[in-house]
Amino acid sequence: MAQGAKPGEGGQLPGHKVDDWIGKVRHSTPGVGLISPPPHHDIYSIEDLAQLIYDLKNANRKARINVKLVSQAGVGTVAAGVAKAQSDVILISGADGGTGASPLSSIRHAGLPWELGLSEAHQTLVINNLRSRVTLQTDGQLRTGRDLAIAVLLGAEEWGISTGALVVEGCIMMRKCHLNTCPVGIATQNPELRKLFTGNPDHVVNFFTFLAQDLREIMASLGFRTVNEMVGQSNILKEANGQMNHWKWDKLDLSPIFHKVEVPDHVGIHKQIDQDFRLKKVLDRKLIEAATPALEQANKVTGTFDIINVDRSVGAMLSNEVSKFFGSPGLPDNTIHFKFQGSAGQTFGGFLAKGITFELEGEANDYFGKGLSGGKLIVYPNRNANFVAEDNIIIGNVAFYGATSGQSYIKGKAGERFCVRNSGVEAVVEGIGDHGCEYMTGGLVIILGEIGRNFAAGMSGGIAYIFKENLGNINKEMVDIDPLNEDDYATIKTSLLKHVDLTSSNTGTRLLEDWEAGKERFIKVIPKDYKEVLRKRALENSKTLV
Amino acid sequence: MADKEGFLKYKRQLPGSRSPEERKKDYQEIYKPLDPKVLNHQAARCMDCGVPFCHNGCPLGNVIPDFNDAVYQNEWERAYQILRGTNNFPEFTGRICPAPCEASCVLGINKDPVAIELIEKSIAEKAYELNLVKPNIPTERTGKKVAVIGSGPSGLAAADQINQAGHEVTVFEKDKEVGGLLRYGIPDFKLEKWVIDRRVDVMNAEGVIFSKDTEVGFNIKAENILHNFDAVVLTTGAQHPRDLKINNRDAKGVHFAMEFLGRQNQVNSGELESNPIHAKGKHVIVIGGGDTGSDCIGTSNRHGAASITQLELLPKPPQARNTLNPWPEWPMTLRTSSSHDEGADRVWSVLTKEFTKDENGTVTGLTVVDIEWKEENGRMQFFEIEGTERTLPCDLAFLAIGYLGPKSGLLEAFDVELLENGLPKSKNYHSSVPKVFLAGDMRRGQSLVVWAIAEGRECAVEVDKFLQGESSLARRDQSFYSYEETHD
Repeated sequence: MAQGAKPGEGGQLPGHKVDDWIGKVRHSTPGVGLISPPPHHDIYSIEDLAQLIYDLKNANRKARINVKLVSQAGVGTVAAGVAKAQSDVILISGADGGTGASPLSSIRHAGLPWELGLSEAHQTLVINNLRSRVTLQTDGQLRTGRDLAIAVLLGAEEWGISTGALVVEGCIMMRKCHLNTCPVGIATQNPELRKLFTGNPDHVVNFFTFLAQDLREIMASLGFRTVNEMVGQSNILKEANGQMNHWKWDKLDLSPIFHKVEVPDHVGIHKQIDQDFRLKKVLDRKLIEAATPALEQANKVTGTFDIINVDRSVGAMLSNEVSKFFGSPGLPDNTIHFKFQGSAGQTFGGFLAKGITFELEGEANDYFGKGLSGGKLIVYPNRNANFVAEDNIIIGNVAFYGATSGQSYIKGKAGERFCVRNSGVEAVVEGIGDHGCEYMTGGLVIILGEIGRNFAAGMSGGIAYIFKENLGNINKEMVDIDPLNEDDYATIKTSLLKHVDLTSSNTGTRLLEDWEAGKERFIKVIPKDYKEVLRKRALENSKTLV
Repeated sequence: MADKEGFLKYKRQLPGSRSPEERKKDYQEIYKPLDPKVLNHQAARCMDCGVPFCHNGCPLGNVIPDFNDAVYQNEWERAYQILRGTNNFPEFTGRICPAPCEASCVLGINKDPVAIELIEKSIAEKAYELNLVKPNIPTERTGKKVAVIGSGPSGLAAADQINQAGHEVTVFEKDKEVGGLLRYGIPDFKLEKWVIDRRVDVMNAEGVIFSKDTEVGFNIKAENILHNFDAVVLTTGAQHPRDLKINNRDAKGVHFAMEFLGRQNQVNSGELESNPIHAKGKHVIVIGGGDTGSDCIGTSNRHGAASITQLELLPKPPQARNTLNPWPEWPMTLRTSSSHDEGADRVWSVLTKEFTKDENGTVTGLTVVDIEWKEENGRMQFFEIEGTERTLPCDLAFLAIGYLGPKSGLLEAFDVELLENGLPKSKNYHSSVPKVFLAGDMRRGQSLVVWAIAEGRECAVEVDKFLQGESSLARRDQSFYSYEETHD
């Protein structure tokens, strides 16, 4: 949820560091900068977070879901909420960490030590009998066995170490990670500099071996046999009286940190039981069963299912199975074609893998197509519905959040934050709410209707075609409004034909009926940097052709 | 930061020097002027490290990345202000410092380090050229008087700082001119003496009083000084040379290096008519492989010696760092000075056995034996190699094997308590005697000019605190150019 060394800040990957490889890994355009904004646009409440945890668990049942929180006053309450939201692990991140990529002002001045947050989180979880369901982790410049021992006593059974390990590999704290000029070849994409990397995995192994040995020795001296035995025994910590030479020392009272909550025996104070996600009877189990021929032999399958709004994250587990069998290439288009009737719950078609098509007759809740990964999503209202599709919202907020590829055709409007952080999905929709295409880094969005305010804020890649009358709602900080050329018209027309074909869209039909007039309604929204990269690339291609 | 990719674009480059044949004919500067563009590229090589190890490598705590940036931006006044903030005499260190900053430069991990010393010298010279080095006369005087005894780099630095704190400073120098080892030790071809004069003129204008030809205990009494001054700083260095106690050491023609070097500088300045120790046509043996030995080679070559051989007890160091001597440690590698380039035989792992002399008592040869270094009982020890004993022809021998500590006289005159190793007892630059302070080689034993300046500066803070109760003078760890103030 945030980072200990720079709480409340996001991250930026400058364009010059996004080379072809990074672009591929990040599903973005090489050369275009990537902005990770501090807020998570899909999470505005603990329920949203619970939904994300549920989505992720569906997408990979074997994964431990880990929620990172920042050490701060009140983190105990947040941690209790996160434990109830069924996170497997909670990480309390302290202020002292942060490698070279964090701004110096943040490293020096922001955040609080992990000890404060960890003790509060542990104590709160114990009081509420939630501690035994989650693993507590902590990080923030842990470097010695003593650091680890204190962390265990304050409640953490796991620890994160990165600066220490980096230094072992040869990091010299240049703090030039953002400039791509790391002189020891660690934080750089420059092949010449990478050659200078002299790190040795054995050194890292030694470092962690020594750390473990150091911790074992401390545990032995304290009489603990296992880490679990030691977790949360904070009462054995003592203040180093008389050894601190600091004027603030006199005013410090560490007893709240050392406090050990007294609880009955049946209340566990370390991780003992797994979270119960109740995944045994979810709709995806039926989908997987129906998709068996596709999963085993890549044969085409179809099916029809009823859906209601408690069916959440539908498609995530199925996509997980597709990925397990076929990897990231997935299946040929439309191999699995499932139809749904009803009102879909949250995250319909989440992380949908390539080769899967979901056709929904009805409407869908928030997070429609979240993390879409190559699948196809088609929505149209119930055939008996008597409302005008293009005037009504039929999918909820935050559709296609963080989606990387795939297509979607929506007959009707979408809610707010449509296609935020989209990096490759092609979507046709008939209107959207506020903040559309925010932080989008790739893909194609065609909007056949009105849009809310702040459209395209922080958008660094991809193209959006929208109606002229929406010009006033565009945030022009990073994007240009360009006239269209024949290629653009061809692109829009192709998409519209598909849209009409798949959803029987009235708006689409009307536009195509008088295409010469219809095409005049569009304007093109394209990020400035993205345009520049495309121009350069076209230039290079023409050069190689000559 | 200068240029973020400067270190990838440019290679380390130093100014060219005059050819050995040409420069052996005189005692002048051996380096040629540098193309300003090359200098700009050298400054551009600085990476402005997040953790600048050079700050720590430099005994003065020079704020190196910042002045590199200023040089790159052609902002000479800013560059000089930054440099001057931590270093009183960049024109000295820019010429003769062995540059521990460069040894700790992060670029040195896998490339040649930034040419920091060159940049430092260039800033200092440009500052004089642009008339940026103006006397900074203290506006308020405290009425306190401080005596600084010894005008070497440490004494000068202490005097400069204490004067800037508003105290009246008198520097006592036993020789005819100010500068100590800078003037009477370091050969002119490494440090031309007008460089010292130029700085002393500035200090004079700032109100520092120089009392030359004044030796405490000889023509002025320690009691008088203690009586007339509120504080005394002793900075007469570690002038007691280590002797070589072998047979026939008393032969004519066997000298301590400094007798030879000091006189040559006096000859060059006209203070002496001729050098009584002259190497022309002689077989010269320099004992000791350090910088002083190097200076003896350069001077002997200028005299026109028949041959020059330099002997070193330790084994030949490696060309590059090995794993036991990693960055940012001081590299124990082979150093070849400009004097070596002018011609000399260098012999390592060799032990001197005895001098031979003729009937007049003049040295004729030096018997040596090769040795082998082995680790025994946990420490390195040497063993003679049988059958390698030989006598080298020798008409002149110089002992350049270090200094044991301060010369006797001054410390006794002030009744300062000594340690077993011969160095005076000190705590926070205070000696055992009230109001008598110590700095430089006198306090810490033989070391570098840059350490002498650093000691002078730190000592000045203690003197100022002693006189006023507090001090606003800069310290190494509390520089005026701390990170916060220059990076907002």
